[in-house]
Amino acid sequence: MKTARTALLVAGLLLVGLPLLWVLVASLKPSLSVISDPWGLPMPPRWANYGEAWTEARISSGFFNSLAATVGTLAILLPVGSMAAYVFARYSFRLSGPLYALMLGGMMFPIFLVIVPLFILMRQLSLLNSLPGLILVYVAFSLSFTVFVMRGFFEVIPEELAEAARMDGAGHASVFWRIMFPLSRPGLTVAGIFNAIGLWNEYGLALVLLQKPEVRTLPLAVADLSQTQQYQADFGALFAALVIVMIPLLVAYALLRHRLHEAMLAGAVKG
Amino acid sequence: MNGKAARGRFIASFLAPAFALYGIFVLWPLVQAFQISLYQWRGTSDVVRWRGLENYRELATDKVVAEAVGNNLYMLGVGGLLIFALALLFSHAVLANSRLSRAFESIALFPQVASTVVVALLWQFMFHPQFGPIPLLQKSMGLGEFESGWLATPSVALPAVTVAFVWFATGFYILLFTAGLRQIPGEVNEAATLDGCQGWRRFASVTWPLLWSIRRTAVTYLVITVMNTFALVYLMTKGAPDRRTEVMLTYLYELAFTNSEWGSASALAVVNFLLVMALAFGVRLLFRRDPTAART
Repeated sequence: MKTARTALLVAGLLLVGLPLLWVLVASLKPSLSVISDPWGLPMPPRWANYGEAWTEARISSGFFNSLAATVGTLAILLPVGSMAAYVFARYSFRLSGPLYALMLGGMMFPIFLVIVPLFILMRQLSLLNSLPGLILVYVAFSLSFTVFVMRGFFEVIPEELAEAARMDGAGHASVFWRIMFPLSRPGLTVAGIFNAIGLWNEYGLALVLLQKPEVRTLPLAVADLSQTQQYQADFGALFAALVIVMIPLLVAYALLRHRLHEAMLAGAVKG
Repeated sequence: MNGKAARGRFIASFLAPAFALYGIFVLWPLVQAFQISLYQWRGTSDVVRWRGLENYRELATDKVVAEAVGNNLYMLGVGGLLIFALALLFSHAVLANSRLSRAFESIALFPQVASTVVVALLWQFMFHPQFGPIPLLQKSMGLGEFESGWLATPSVALPAVTVAFVWFATGFYILLFTAGLRQIPGEVNEAATLDGCQGWRRFASVTWPLLWSIRRTAVTYLVITVMNTFALVYLMTKGAPDRRTEVMLTYLYELAFTNSEWGSASALAVVNFLLVMALAFGVRLLFRRDPTAART
């Protein structure tokens, strides 16, 4: 029984780990030996693949565009989402229920349901091929989840803290900005990381809304790279590009694995 | 001090930014999606013509739609069975809580965190006819080879894409089933053991029924994920060869942005949405009775 379990776990580790390891190894090989010696180790490792992927292949511009899109989205999303979540968590008013249901409705349907009208709208607003335009769309489509998560965090902050500030004559808004928003940092971390991973990886919306190469985000840049004729032979650089996409994700995942597991399960088990 | 009015103004001003963005970029396009699906609208011209349900009627007889829905359902059925079998097996192994099991738990979810772009390209290379490990293994084991590679051979392209999907998705279900198994009280398992109920029998008559709500969540999630698959297929095969890996959303993308058939594309989007809703509703019906509730 115990040996069977050990064998199973080892098999699982290899099934998930080997393909990832293979990418890493191939990213350090000259392109020719990727094909001629597929099982060989990269001796000596060819670090130049990373340089080539980074400079020649628009991966660097993709990287910075993705960074701008992710950071820009979070910078708007977290305060805007928190403000709404706070009101839903701590204030009762007539339309509270229906408005909250409407906001959560956004989690119910796939982005592709609205992709055509969204494309038309963005074209009318001259926001195609624009990172600020993409950021606005990203914020809008991340709000449902963010409001849902942040509401849970605002609900458990003790009322006495706000009470004390109100005694000192602070208004509703200043109680939020001075007390509640800073206190919700654990929630902001969970919502931030969760959204950041999704945004860093986002493909469908970016594919439709960004067509000019200079504004394309990292997933698009890497996908383009794999389809350009010139690089179809330069496998070393292509594998290096894949590793470049994965590194920030690996770091985020390693740092916040337990939080992430909890957040994923919370959404699933409640739903 | 006018406290009540100030409170109202505060609520409105704090909700306004979120609802403005949400209204413009989510709700308004959502309403329009249904509307556009009733028109003939070529993206290349400004002529918009009322068509009623004609777009839907066309989709109903479109062979590509049938193929795509079939492929989605193949991934749901075959992929789903594989994912569930693997997830159940591995979640039991993970429960042991050894160093090895923790190592596995920590890596199992990574494919899900890595972007679908990475997963798609990774598996494109795994199946690469020149240097892909899978064709190489296949050849070295004397199992022959597919001349143009797995992803270009009609009979195995869809299974190959499904393998990539299983590799991507299984981690989440392992996490889910592990959480479910941890919720089963120790006394229940002890009582079963005392009654001489162990191994496969304990799994079938105790564990499986108790995982009821987790199974329902898992199936619902799976339905939504599979029916909304786009990037994985689009990047691995673009629906080729001969539409054998086409799924609903890759065809939708083709209708909308290659053919500029905005009306038909929106109709297909609505069909996809309704199909997901119907399947999710079916799952609820299938799991409507808690098998443990009746036995108290």
